[in-house]
Amino acid sequence: MKYPKEVVLTNCTEVSIRPLQPEDEGRLRAFYEEVPEIDRWYMRFDVRDPEVIRAWARGGQDVFSIVAECGDRIIAHARLHTHRYGCYHHQGRLRIIVLPDFRQKRLGSWMLLDLIRYAMEKGLREVRADFVVGVEDAAIESARKLDFFKKALLEDFVIGPDGALHDLLIMTKQLHKDWGDF
Amino acid sequence: MGSFPQNEILLATPEGGELRIRSFCTPEQIRQLNFDRQFGTHAHYRSLYTRRESLEKIAATPDASVVLAIADGKHIVGFGVLAYPDPEERWAQLGPLLMEVNAIEVSRPWRARRIGQAIVRMMMVHPLIEEKIVYFVGYSWTWDLDGNRLSAQQYRRMMEKLFEPFGFQEYETNEPNLCLKPENIFMARIGARVSAEDQNRFKWLRFGMTP
Repeated sequence: MKYPKEVVLTNCTEVSIRPLQPEDEGRLRAFYEEVPEIDRWYMRFDVRDPEVIRAWARGGQDVFSIVAECGDRIIAHARLHTHRYGCYHHQGRLRIIVLPDFRQKRLGSWMLLDLIRYAMEKGLREVRADFVVGVEDAAIESARKLDFFKKALLEDFVIGPDGALHDLLIMTKQLHKDWGDF
Repeated sequence: MGSFPQNEILLATPEGGELRIRSFCTPEQIRQLNFDRQFGTHAHYRSLYTRRESLEKIAATPDASVVLAIADGKHIVGFGVLAYPDPEERWAQLGPLLMEVNAIEVSRPWRARRIGQAIVRMMMVHPLIEEKIVYFVGYSWTWDLDGNRLSAQQYRRMMEKLFEPFGFQEYETNEPNLCLKPENIFMARIGARVSAEDQNRFKWLRFGMTP
């Protein structure tokens, strides 16, 4: 995979996509400070914890991160979490966060496409993404357009900040490995 | 049809025969050759050109270069087509600035002999090459994965390796057909004499925008 990748959003904004580097730590922290509290609530990790950000910025064998930049500002962060061993080693889990001003402009789709290509290069068989129904519906639609299908719906599985329960939709996309798949 | 000089590479085959890779083949020359039967319909694959007449027709269009791999002086075993895009396509919007590697194919029994590389090389000796943006669109559903025993990802990598030595690089685009599959690939080579303004026009075109 060659970086940076230049993309143009639907509002003509030019954006560059590249892997996250250790020196991005401060800017990644600033990025998550801009992410609305309601979005942070539904994340699997506490992104206000400097150790979480530091670990992502440093990278590692089990997580691959890319960021989208507009000028010097990080406006989106996408991760692919993988396992080297065990029953999940064939699978990667995706997570994409885009700042509100840059949503609905296809940036999430570009980052999703990039991580899918990376997963294919890594030889994964499947990628998974979890979405909170009613909160992340636009992301669900983007995933559908890239051939993600519903794997399971966990009803009333996650809880909102107001105490309301939401369904969690698990979607997966099969990555073709053998010529016979086609 | 342009009046460009023909170029030719002569390769020896392991069987003791000869293989000529010739650029700017004319319709008359193509008509005198046999088209390999493998350029047809297979179980999971259909050749990009199944009739010799289609190559004759495109060879007659302005500036086009039909490159043929010709075995023993009479048998077409591979071809490459560099031509202007179909007027209906997005890529035609920039007029003669853009040319497309419309097809490249080597007959199944003749593969893995670097014939594809020689065909690309001959397409790139076009006299106008440095004034053009030459692009290549790879749709995974047109690839002979079955015949090559490759996954789409491996085939994609093969295409990258085939074109990169000639100055092509991958570019992002929102062209809907390309976006249908992550395996699909769009590569382009920007000629040395293409202005910054034209490079910008190409960028906006890739994303279907008018700034």
